[in-house]
Amino acid sequence: MVANSVVERLRARIGVAAPSTEATVEAGHVKRFAEAIGDANPRWTTEAPPTFLVALAPVSLHLAEAEEYGKGWLNGGNRFEYFEPVKVGDRITATGRVAEVYEKTGSSGSLLFIIFETDYVNQDGRTVAKLRGTMIRR
Amino acid sequence: MSVKVGDELADLVKHPTTRQLVQYAGAQGDFYEIHYDQAFAQGVGLPGVILHGLLKAGFLGQLVTDWLGDRGTLKTFEVSYRGIDQPGRPYRCRGRVTKVDGDQVELEVWGEDSAGSRTTVGTATVEMKG
Repeated sequence: MVANSVVERLRARIGVAAPSTEATVEAGHVKRFAEAIGDANPRWTTEAPPTFLVALAPVSLHLAEAEEYGKGWLNGGNRFEYFEPVKVGDRITATGRVAEVYEKTGSSGSLLFIIFETDYVNQDGRTVAKLRGTMIRR
Repeated sequence: MSVKVGDELADLVKHPTTRQLVQYAGAQGDFYEIHYDQAFAQGVGLPGVILHGLLKAGFLGQLVTDWLGDRGTLKTFEVSYRGIDQPGRPYRCRGRVTKVDGDQVELEVWGEDSAGSRTTVGTATVEMKG
């Protein structure tokens, strides 16, 4: 069955780090992100707002093949843990991995849950934040 | 100003538009069509375009940082998306203090649709400055 093989292939990746992506926290990008939220806090001219890291690197790293399952994506939730402030000018390396994969049967059919984790490390080698997210195919 | 259990955060009411969803899609780099293409959204069983979960998380993040100001540091922030929200309807962000343990404070935050349903629920922990 196609659906099962997708689940098996994703499960085979659990714990395996995807290739890292690196990006600089640019003032203009942070400004556009805060404007899109409608958050006019002047603090976001030098520092990144709490959810900005999702804009630095794709949150659903290498999950394209999950699209064989179901017809659409849902975002189930996000959990951020912060260790250091993220400042404009920081060079951030994001490394993601699949943490869990499981299926559930709901009222509208089966759902595929993919839990991913991303670590964000700055130019000094310090972990600034970790993100854990739940993406759902339905 | 001391923080105590039961303190409520000042409500933050957003009025998202489809234009704002496009703006957010560009800023985050999430171009999934359910956020700006009505026909695509309806084709996957949605009533129309819907807000990005992470845009709602951004609103709730603003609720917390507006309340916190420079009095402390955000340590964790977690949100679960329980329901969909459509542009053209007000989105009310609310929160309250649920625990105070020394300088560690826990908050409950949520976003309500125009019918008062909590379509996004979450928690935040902050460390207050000594």
